[in-house]
Amino acid sequence: MSKRIGKIKIRIPRNIKKGDIIPIKALIIHPMETGFRKDKKTGKLIPAYYINDVTVYYGNEVITRCEWTIAVSADPFMTFYLKADKAAPLRIIWKDNKGGVYEKTVQISPK
Amino acid sequence: MNRKRLALLQVLMALSVIIVITSIEFVGSVRAGSTETEIVEYTPSISPEEYERRYKEFYGDTTKQMAEEGNPGELMLEDGEELFHSVDGSKGKSCASCHGENGKDLVGAATTFPKYDPEIKGIKTVALQINMCREKRMGAKPLKYESYDQLALELYVKSLSNGMPINVSIDGPAGPFYEKGKAFYYKRQGQFNFNCAICHVKYAGYMARANLISHYRGHADHWPSYRLKWGAVGSLQRRFRGCMKNTRTKPLPYQSEEYRNLELYLTYISNGLPIQVPGFRM
Repeated sequence: MSKRIGKIKIRIPRNIKKGDIIPIKALIIHPMETGFRKDKKTGKLIPAYYINDVTVYYGNEVITRCEWTIAVSADPFMTFYLKADKAAPLRIIWKDNKGGVYEKTVQISPK
Repeated sequence: MNRKRLALLQVLMALSVIIVITSIEFVGSVRAGSTETEIVEYTPSISPEEYERRYKEFYGDTTKQMAEEGNPGELMLEDGEELFHSVDGSKGKSCASCHGENGKDLVGAATTFPKYDPEIKGIKTVALQINMCREKRMGAKPLKYESYDQLALELYVKSLSNGMPINVSIDGPAGPFYEKGKAFYYKRQGQFNFNCAICHVKYAGYMARANLISHYRGHADHWPSYRLKWGAVGSLQRRFRGCMKNTRTKPLPYQSEEYRNLELYLTYISNGLPIQVPGFRM
């Protein structure tokens, strides 16, 4: 088992009231290689490998979309705010430049 | 006349060169002698509380906030839990078959490590203990040090003692190894002729270029730790190697005798602090 690419953790507050503005925190394990680094032993360039697209769905609706580049650090972490006005699944999808797709869904159920 | 003067000058120059060489050798021998025989202890520059204050002043709450929000080490912890319950080796056992479901017999076990082991006649660390267990009780291959699996398992076992104070004992047979560890801590070595104590005791809380030098107390309570510089989880011994490279000293292999003794010394001087793994640091 090497470093597990695509392991995801999403954090949401415990008690949510309807209409609250809540922070969503999401972390994914990914090397985010820039393509400019050299392998120390062979001297060859390590090919670029990074997440370039993040999409967040709340129910069926796209609520945010990010375009990431090589400037984003390894194991990227993001926070955004959401108005919890309905009970619906929150789905976050990460896509990288080698065709990898990683996703996770959490249920948001305001009282 | 000129020739006489020239000869005199040559003689003088030769003499001065000899004097310089001998004096260098003399100083060198004195220096080498003093480092091997006695330990000159330093008085700590500041208290741990004062260090905390300076750290906060210089770096702010950024790392603390990052650790609370999303520590990538926590994802590794889940893998460690999975490894703990997976069967491996010729005897068809997992760690959980002896130590209980979710490691309930190991709660608090990591607080007394590193400790003396009569079988190897030396100090054993958690990493070494896991590999000894795997070889003898499970009939499995030992895990390679600093590999993902080894760190994940060590992380999980240590996390069972989270929040409990470190309680390392140096009574009895562990005593001489503690002394050896201390001697290593105070031994000047490498191209820069540094020892560990000069930075982390004498000049703790001062600046080394753009970095605040950390205080020795609390060096051993949060490993394995996620380090932003590595972009990965690593062990205390990986940090030892990094420090030794920085002072132009040849690093030693993982779990070598010197490093295990040093780990005992460092953990002992952090006694009483709660274990917090996975750590998160710069």
